[in-house]
Amino acid sequence: MRILLIEDDHETAHYISLGLRDDGHEIAVARNGREGLNRAGLEKWDLLIVDRMLPEIDGLSMVKQLRHAGAITPILFLTTLGGVDDRVMGLNAGADDYLVKPFSFSELLARVAALGRRSPRLAVETTLSIADLEIDLLARTVKRGGIAVELLPREFRLLEYLAKHTEQTVTRAMLLENVWDVHFDPNTTVVETHISRLRSKIDRGQSIPLIHTLRGAGYTLRVPV
Amino acid sequence: MYATLTGISFLVLFSVIFLSTTRFMRHQIDDSVSSEVDEIMADAPDRGVVALQAVVEALAKHPSGFFYLLQDSNGMVRAGNLPAVDPKEGVREWPQSAKGRASAFSAIRGRGINLSGAYLFVGWSTHQLLEMEEMVIRSFAWGLAASIALALAGGLVMSGRLMHRIETVSQTSRDIIGEDLQKRLPVTRAGDELDHLAGSINAMLDRIEGLMNDLRQVTTDIAHDLRTPLTRLRQRLELANRAEHDADLARTTLASAVAEIDSILAIFSSLLRIAQIESGARRQGFKEVQLSELLGTIGELYRPMADENGQVLIETIESSLWVVGERELLLLLFANLIENALRHSPRGSTIAIRASGLGRMVHVSVVDDGPGIPQEMRDKVLQRFFRLESSRTTAGSGLGLSLASAIVKVHGATLELSDAGPGLNATVRFAAA
Repeated sequence: MRILLIEDDHETAHYISLGLRDDGHEIAVARNGREGLNRAGLEKWDLLIVDRMLPEIDGLSMVKQLRHAGAITPILFLTTLGGVDDRVMGLNAGADDYLVKPFSFSELLARVAALGRRSPRLAVETTLSIADLEIDLLARTVKRGGIAVELLPREFRLLEYLAKHTEQTVTRAMLLENVWDVHFDPNTTVVETHISRLRSKIDRGQSIPLIHTLRGAGYTLRVPV
Repeated sequence: MYATLTGISFLVLFSVIFLSTTRFMRHQIDDSVSSEVDEIMADAPDRGVVALQAVVEALAKHPSGFFYLLQDSNGMVRAGNLPAVDPKEGVREWPQSAKGRASAFSAIRGRGINLSGAYLFVGWSTHQLLEMEEMVIRSFAWGLAASIALALAGGLVMSGRLMHRIETVSQTSRDIIGEDLQKRLPVTRAGDELDHLAGSINAMLDRIEGLMNDLRQVTTDIAHDLRTPLTRLRQRLELANRAEHDADLARTTLASAVAEIDSILAIFSSLLRIAQIESGARRQGFKEVQLSELLGTIGELYRPMADENGQVLIETIESSLWVVGERELLLLLFANLIENALRHSPRGSTIAIRASGLGRMVHVSVVDDGPGIPQEMRDKVLQRFFRLESSRTTAGSGLGLSLASAIVKVHGATLELSDAGPGLNATVRFAAA
């Protein structure tokens, strides 16, 4: 993926670019809002990572200007905990996702991957299938190996989110935000218990497990290689 | 100031009394003199000088207090007991001032009338009048002097006492500035404005002292709570450093070091969040929140965890309960209360979430049947970093309930911890939206 990082702090910029390069991305860094705005407009990018606090033009108005100019590039907004409404304001301004500093690298990689995969194709899909797992998004029914699996509404949403991000790492925070609309870390194993319930319904008695725990990173739904 | 005011009011009073009494006495004199003149005229039917002379002479012989004068047109005294005067018509008094008075008889007030070829004057001694005037002036002068002296003395005493009390207050304030925050301003039994003020200042000092103690406690607690994970972090990094030939050990050690840092960061995040909530800045974003739905989400979120712990989570939530607030903070509040209940209750216990509307109020309770919190500790658990077990071995930062308390406060609600017999009942009372 070609990623433009707009971040004024050298240390953070270095840390993020190193990690993303390791993960196989091509990355460029802009040091302030004006430079970021220029490069975002002139070149083609798969993703923009924008810090909230930037010299010259701050992150928020940068995102607003880009969206106003019609840019559709996915944007990941970086905020600090100190700014209460940063998340809401960032998303309102047109960012697609946000991440609160300090964040773990696995969280950043998972978000970047999720945003890179976003495509309009997903919006019109009504069924998802991974191996012998079939999910009907309209009827909200699930079948494994042709046999119907009974899921609670929230379990369905959990599975739906995992299936839409198949092959990708999905973090606890991403699940909390997208499945429960909870934007803080409850500091317990709540997500883990939900996943293990879902796993017992989807994978129990199956020769091929589909839901996998990635230690220290999150979860993924995929056919094991 | 006080003395001047007293003096002025005294003078006003004096002038009123002085003027009215002297006027009254002059009036009295004028009346009796007029009737005497009328009588003389009545006794001398033809009003001739000769007839009048006889009448006046007869009267002058028997001293009655009146003074008489009858003189002819040449200015010669024909009868009476006064020397000749300038024949002026009407009421006259002489000498004009009390100062020029030579004897008791020379101060006279009376009435003169011009008849054909004669001048008749009847007067009355003003001795008494002048005497009285003088007495009134003298007594008022003394009174004035005395009252001014009293006012001055009283003022001095009063202001002296006031100055003394103010001096005590400022001395105490200086003592408080210089370290001794326990000191309080003296409150006398007078119950006056100054005592009122001292009472308010003392209440303020109590609050400041409480806050200072909190701050001191929090500082100590932060230091204490961060030292433990930092020490562990240090040990792990050292271990990783020495594990140069064992890449796997190095990797797992580093991973656990990162987890340790995450827990330190979580403490900081919670502290920051509490501070931010307590500042009240988020109140601007408050809107109506469907509490029933929110509690449903929370219950649903935690039920699998309770199952896993062998605990039962029961929800009794009335539908469409609305409060004014921020959804995210309210989620955080009830997540904290439920996590607290789950963490501190043993296997097999029941945790109940109850929500109901009571008039204009919405009550939400999280009740467990675990060990509960002893009465005397219930206030303390809401403080930052406070934990019941001092060894701090169980999970948790000791910030959960203080975070809950801050969220409750910013919503204008109350949080009450009570005995569920056995267990803990945490009840939040909101005003309904």
